[in-house]
Amino acid sequence: MSDLTSDDLLAEYLKVQAQTRRQFVGWGAGGLGALFMNSAMAAPPQPHAVPSALNFARDPATPLSVLPPQFAAKVKRVIYLHMGGSPSQLDLFDYKPVLKRFHGHDCPQSFLAGKRFAFIQGVPKLLGPMFPFHQAGKSGAWISDRLPHLEKQVDDLCIIKSMTTDQFNHAPAQLLVHTGDPRLGHASLGSWITYGLGSENQNLPGFIVLISNGGTTANAGKPLWGSGFLPSVYQGVPCRSASEPVLYLQNSPSVTRPERRQVLDAVEEINRENFKTFGNPETVTRIAQYEMAFRMQLEASDAMDIKKEPAKVLERYGAEPGKTSYANNCLVARRLAERGVRFIQLYHWGWDSHGTPVDEGVNVGLVKRCKETDQPTAALLADLKQRGLLEDTLVIWGGEFGRTPMWENRGGQEMEFIGRDHHPSCFTLFMAGGGIKHGISHGETDEMGYSIVRNPVEVRDLHATMLYLLGFDYRKLNYPYQGLDQKLTGVKPARIVSEILA
Amino acid sequence: MSAPAYAACVALVTALGLGFAAWAHPAFLHSSLQNLGLEKAPRAMPGSFYITRIAPLFETRCVSCHGNTRAKGQLRLDSFAAAMRGGKDGTVIVPGDPGASELFHRISLPVSDDKAMPPSGKSPLTADEVTVIRLWIAAGASGEMRTIKGAPKPVLEVRIPESDPAAVQKQRAPLAAAVTQLQARFPGVIIYESRNSADLEVDASLKGAAFGDADLAALMPLKTRITRADFSGTSITDASAPALAAMTALTRLRLARTQVTNKTIGSLASLMTLKSVSLIDTKVSDAALAPLRQRGVLVYGGGNE
Repeated sequence: MSDLTSDDLLAEYLKVQAQTRRQFVGWGAGGLGALFMNSAMAAPPQPHAVPSALNFARDPATPLSVLPPQFAAKVKRVIYLHMGGSPSQLDLFDYKPVLKRFHGHDCPQSFLAGKRFAFIQGVPKLLGPMFPFHQAGKSGAWISDRLPHLEKQVDDLCIIKSMTTDQFNHAPAQLLVHTGDPRLGHASLGSWITYGLGSENQNLPGFIVLISNGGTTANAGKPLWGSGFLPSVYQGVPCRSASEPVLYLQNSPSVTRPERRQVLDAVEEINRENFKTFGNPETVTRIAQYEMAFRMQLEASDAMDIKKEPAKVLERYGAEPGKTSYANNCLVARRLAERGVRFIQLYHWGWDSHGTPVDEGVNVGLVKRCKETDQPTAALLADLKQRGLLEDTLVIWGGEFGRTPMWENRGGQEMEFIGRDHHPSCFTLFMAGGGIKHGISHGETDEMGYSIVRNPVEVRDLHATMLYLLGFDYRKLNYPYQGLDQKLTGVKPARIVSEILA
Repeated sequence: MSAPAYAACVALVTALGLGFAAWAHPAFLHSSLQNLGLEKAPRAMPGSFYITRIAPLFETRCVSCHGNTRAKGQLRLDSFAAAMRGGKDGTVIVPGDPGASELFHRISLPVSDDKAMPPSGKSPLTADEVTVIRLWIAAGASGEMRTIKGAPKPVLEVRIPESDPAAVQKQRAPLAAAVTQLQARFPGVIIYESRNSADLEVDASLKGAAFGDADLAALMPLKTRITRADFSGTSITDASAPALAAMTALTRLRLARTQVTNKTIGSLASLMTLKSVSLIDTKVSDAALAPLRQRGVLVYGGGNE
């Protein structure tokens, strides 16, 4: 073994972490003073001391170790159900009888003046809700007949009808929802939260991504669960719900577990030598990741194996072991929540409803996506509630923007299939779980569903509210990078949505 | 020209100039008079509707263009007096008549209108904000009136709990050594509820069967500080009942998939702050849970499965 002990490694790691570019440049001029500064900053954190600035320093061998939140948290974990491509709020939650009355009329000029849409040109026709709506539950929330299962959980939901974004293309809009910025390079929600709180289960990643596919694929791709400027150990780890959960995680048939251990020990020795020479903190991350992968060989297979669930549970979710489906992923999400995974991110792609191909028709593709997701989403909520997990879990469902109250007329032409264009001005998202009111609707759009008339909620407001529920002031959870204390909410003022807090 | 005649001419021209300025920009006249102390500047009373609801709204939505540094259209909305004084074209608030008030007219125009305020590019006032201004003007645009009937409720800002590191450290001190020692014995099981708190949360569920009655008993030095505990799936039995009953600060307790029976439930009666308990996949009966349910404790699983 190398002569570098793990204590040396810790001290060295903290030193490298504390060393910013400016300090490095300052070394030339500052000389010994700078050296002293660095060693002073390398002091390991005292367990019971409470520093005024939030300190996230950890032993590099356990980068996911649990840290307490800034103040008492309402929830301990998040399950984020992202409906990629963006479902139509006007056909699922945001009922507009007046729009229905004007169905087929020309869109009023006041909606079009000075506006730019992704595809709509000229004067499109108004498009009323495609499905019958009714009121459900004690709360009397309006819901379309495409969500018959979710309807039974409607009193557990906090439906925000006034979400708004400034991005009208999928990839940047998805990046904004998941990283707080429409450009690449920022840390995702799950990364921020595992950075801030760590994860209870050291044998599984703290941030797990489960993907199912209803047609198209991820627009923005991997950066949606990337760690951006945060250490890469906090990035999301995609797992599969069919066959091997993580590709190449298991040993090949000719390799035994002790042999694998030997290989890892040898690799670790090389990595330590490498760290001693170059001092790159990412090398320590790599050592920790190899060790976690070794522990995951046992734990991940068990956590992802839904065959272990009773038949009645599989039936409730509509899950079928061995397939890749949203239903399987919802069931896995519950199993991961039970196992102390901090942030569980589900993606179900294929909600884009332009009406260009028939499968993107509001009356075809949207119906299929509802069929694929309605029962599992409802089953997940009911299951978490029944097990008492909804008390300290936050579940979020939503897309990246809304859809227009106009029938898309790509290139100014009338279209064969029924579609709606991207509409960043307003969209619907729902939350359920600890610390928030349930059985309520927040915010309101006008009677055509075109713009928000009451309580607009920006994406950064949603993020600030999430962090508050997890026990953080969004202004305090930050990371120094490029001369700025980076925040999930960015530099614009955000607001915690007090109206929805229980 | 004689000196007195010259002086008279200058005085006349000056008076004409000032008169014209006062006629063209009444706000200028009032502002000058108020600054010279010749006219009483209207003031809003602390606690008035204006101070609590209107001023903050002007401050966040209008003052960046209508304030001390920039006063577009010579209109300032950074004080009650200035708002009532108006701008270049006269008063913008007509007490009792929102319809005749330019300020109300401008904020209620459609966004696409050139004269709409805030101008395009800035987010328009919300329906509630417009309503608050309309009701305030209709009620007389007073600086004294404290409440206005029918006004939408004010939006609450969330207060982030203050942190006092020294106080927290003091609260933690008596048990600090025990916490450190037990954290080393049970890595990842014991954690402070928050950086602001000396209270503790215990989660032994990931230890599984390796965590038993003796381990739970080892937590006893911390008993009054444990607010949440999860022993789901551990091998604890009814032998832990007295230890659980001694955790008097518990608000949430999870005992799913354990061997505990009605006996343990009976001893939980002493936990007055308990809000929820999970007994999924245990042999606990409905009858044993009745007293907890009566107290309003949320019960998951148990006899109702």
